[in-house]
Amino acid sequence: MFLGVKTTLQHNKINALKKLMFIGCMLISFINVTAQNEQPQDSTFSKELNEVVVTATRNERKLGNIAVPVTIISQKTIQQAASVRLKDILQEQAGLFLTSGFGTGVQMQGLNSDYTLILIDGQPLVGRTSGVLDLNRVTLGNIKKIEIVKGPSSSLYGSEALAGVINIITDKSFDSKVSASIRYGTYNTMDANITASTRIGKLGISGFINQYNTDGYSIRPYSVERSKLPISKTTPQLQLNYPLSSKTNLNLSVRYNYEYIKNELAVSNNGQIVYSKGREMNKDLNFTPIINHTFSKKLKTSLQLYATRFEGSQKLDISGGQGYDDYFLQQFYRVENQTDYTIAKNISLIAGIGYLKEFVNSSRYDDKNSRKENEVKYGFVQTEWIPFKKLTFIGGFRYDDNKLYASAFSPKIAGKLILSDKINFQASYGKGFKAPDFRQLYLNFTNTSAGNYSVFGALEAQHIIEVLNNAGFIKQYEDDYAKLQALRPEYSNGFNAGFTAYPAKKIQLQVNVFRNDIKDLIESRLVATRVDNTQIFSYVNIKSAYTQGIETNIKYILTPNFSLNAGYQYLQTADKDELKKIKAGNFYYTRDANNYSVLLKKSDYLGLPNRSPHMATLKLIYEAAAQKWFANIRAIYRSKWVVFDKDGNGIYNKQDEFADGFVQLNSSAGVNFKKGFRVQAGAENILNHVDVNNLPNAPGRTFFTTVTYTLNKKIKQ
Amino acid sequence: MKKTLSLIGIFAASVLLFTACKKDDAPATPIDTTNNGTFKVFKVGNVTSVQNLIADTIIGLTPIGQPYGANKYTFFSIENNTLVASSDSATTKWDIAFRGTTILTNSGTSGPGNGGAFVQIGTFDGLAAISADSVFKTDAAPVYAITTGSGKGWYNYDGANNLITPLPGRVIVIRTASGKYAKLEITNYYKKGVTPAASAGDDEKLHGQRFYAFRYNFQANGSKTF
Repeated sequence: MFLGVKTTLQHNKINALKKLMFIGCMLISFINVTAQNEQPQDSTFSKELNEVVVTATRNERKLGNIAVPVTIISQKTIQQAASVRLKDILQEQAGLFLTSGFGTGVQMQGLNSDYTLILIDGQPLVGRTSGVLDLNRVTLGNIKKIEIVKGPSSSLYGSEALAGVINIITDKSFDSKVSASIRYGTYNTMDANITASTRIGKLGISGFINQYNTDGYSIRPYSVERSKLPISKTTPQLQLNYPLSSKTNLNLSVRYNYEYIKNELAVSNNGQIVYSKGREMNKDLNFTPIINHTFSKKLKTSLQLYATRFEGSQKLDISGGQGYDDYFLQQFYRVENQTDYTIAKNISLIAGIGYLKEFVNSSRYDDKNSRKENEVKYGFVQTEWIPFKKLTFIGGFRYDDNKLYASAFSPKIAGKLILSDKINFQASYGKGFKAPDFRQLYLNFTNTSAGNYSVFGALEAQHIIEVLNNAGFIKQYEDDYAKLQALRPEYSNGFNAGFTAYPAKKIQLQVNVFRNDIKDLIESRLVATRVDNTQIFSYVNIKSAYTQGIETNIKYILTPNFSLNAGYQYLQTADKDELKKIKAGNFYYTRDANNYSVLLKKSDYLGLPNRSPHMATLKLIYEAAAQKWFANIRAIYRSKWVVFDKDGNGIYNKQDEFADGFVQLNSSAGVNFKKGFRVQAGAENILNHVDVNNLPNAPGRTFFTTVTYTLNKKIKQ
Repeated sequence: MKKTLSLIGIFAASVLLFTACKKDDAPATPIDTTNNGTFKVFKVGNVTSVQNLIADTIIGLTPIGQPYGANKYTFFSIENNTLVASSDSATTKWDIAFRGTTILTNSGTSGPGNGGAFVQIGTFDGLAAISADSVFKTDAAPVYAITTGSGKGWYNYDGANNLITPLPGRVIVIRTASGKYAKLEITNYYKKGVTPAASAGDDEKLHGQRFYAFRYNFQANGSKTF
């Protein structure tokens, strides 16, 4: 009997084992079966899936094999949309929300523009104002493609890559080619490009220059104030390539951007109109020498030097008044080595180390001659493992040792399973961070044109307020004064999961669900009030928040010539402390239609301001055979977004002030003539949606026409 | 071609759909059409409402841009539902007085009355009775029974948009000059009871402010329950 029991147990065990083995065999055979189901080579989408992406993994990988959400905007898409500045094309992406104020910024997955790293050829652009890197600074004239990686990417890129990375990849072909284009449109807006490239012996040379001018426009009636100021921008770029040997390559890129902005204002002060003249200049220089060396098929390395500076100055002269003279200079120097090693057929590794040094001088701080500096030493490693042909894992981390702030450890893990040619799944987790910037540490700013409030950086605030207090200027210290201390980096934990499906041969459906939990967010808080009731703010690590949502994209190739592309993002956000208090009840109130106080319902809570919960795009694209001509119509929708805490309860809810939702309709068509001529014309914002206060960067309906000439043949050497 | 046409149809429909989504789902605010910007007191049931009580409106800006008024308080009697002449400021005829965002009670350094106040978090209707352990504060300039300062007493000041909003969920419990009780809710600080939009011009924001709208429930019999 005892034995019998044992036997039964063993029998059960064996049964269980058999079952396991059976399932295992099933799985293996399934995988074997699916492994043969390679991504269909003749599929409508195969070209796109085979496109090489570099930003997601810092090495060349096919889009179809990448485990994190990546969007590629091709040169063709940019050209057909007739986009000239980076802002133009990003606004046509469903999941990206453009912000105005201190230039045009981009919100990704509901996170502010401070948290998206913007790269040109893998090197970061610097020179942010109030956290915003103005997307108008980047011309699209010589851009080959734009890669957008969503989700925390600090494991590869360090600070700022908290929401994601936008990498602008310039055209680096050295074919003998000359191309020129000129675009002219409403408001005397002119965008001209010349590109020329060739190889002289082994030396590849590519030169590019862009010139952009606009008269600007005023969407505010009866005002001399320009919504968009007259601007002139010039961007030359020189790229050199010299193969030292078949294994060693030298590359050099020098890019410069110069902006000159005229600003003429009429400010009403106590009934009197005061005229003012402003001049703004921005200079942006990037210098990137790179040496690539291939030791063997399995081992290659790259040494990258990068030097960049951004210098901005703003001068304002006011008739009979006090103007201002603002100066900002940021310098950024970096040396980085990355080595790619293929350990085995299915395991590869990348590893890198780097050192960067940064300097900032600004009149926005205590003294423009006092140079603030920071340095970071970092290292990163990432491995890719393909246990089965259709299963890919990526794991890696980066460590940033910061001189000014706490160091940061940023891991990332991602996986992709290509289940069949009909569907594949991907999921990733990453930790992202953003180091406190110089502004948050050193700012010393008083707004003389609105309310005389002041903002002092966290490193200076206590000292300045104490000095003011000793001089008798401080009425009271506010509650958040006690929270002033050394700033820590802001952190996020980001999850992305989704699938790509092909329900029919000509339909591609992509779905991605995301969640970002952010803690130690740095916010400006009221820390003291002066005797004259003006407010003093400073920065504190105070907030925890989350953003979550779903992003979908459908591509439908109706005929070989005609395709439809629809994108949609739903976004939810919340400040975690606020949410906790709302759930606990009896803390937040709002007002009803009679202005009477009522308890705030959780369903009325909106979370973070300046975000559209619904965003969508719809594009119809027609391309004639042999690319003779094309036409497209693109609609961009943003649902209304909350802009101001109207009921004064300290949080954003449905009773507050909103910016109107809108549909922007753009259209363009072009014809390719023989001998390299192309003519294109179009209209933007056809429905003429204008919002003076909330969309100051969007003009009304505009028209343009572009002429391009490309000469593409061997030049005799 | 047919396909193309139907697609354009779908496209147009979706654009319409998107546009339709634009509709405002916040509750419509029925602006009091009888509110023409002038001072008015009216009573509905036990609750008295006051509109457009002018509290030292702004007459100019200092060289550094700080607004200023004539520096005079507007006195009000909760017991009699009327304004009180400033010549009676040293009497017990008034219960509360307004100047800019500062509110006085007829107590302490402000007046000879037996007044006082405290601010309670909650709704006006939710306050059924003044609890026995409540402590009424009195004025001791520059500290007042109704605390001044953004976010501290009854209002919030948004420095970036230059707007003042009464904090929702604040009931001011008042002891009148004669020692009777009232509960009071400030509903607005701007002319006609409408706070300007954040995007409104400076003129509208500056010259439209310091017009109080409030409602109160006064217990003439000295009761602490409402």
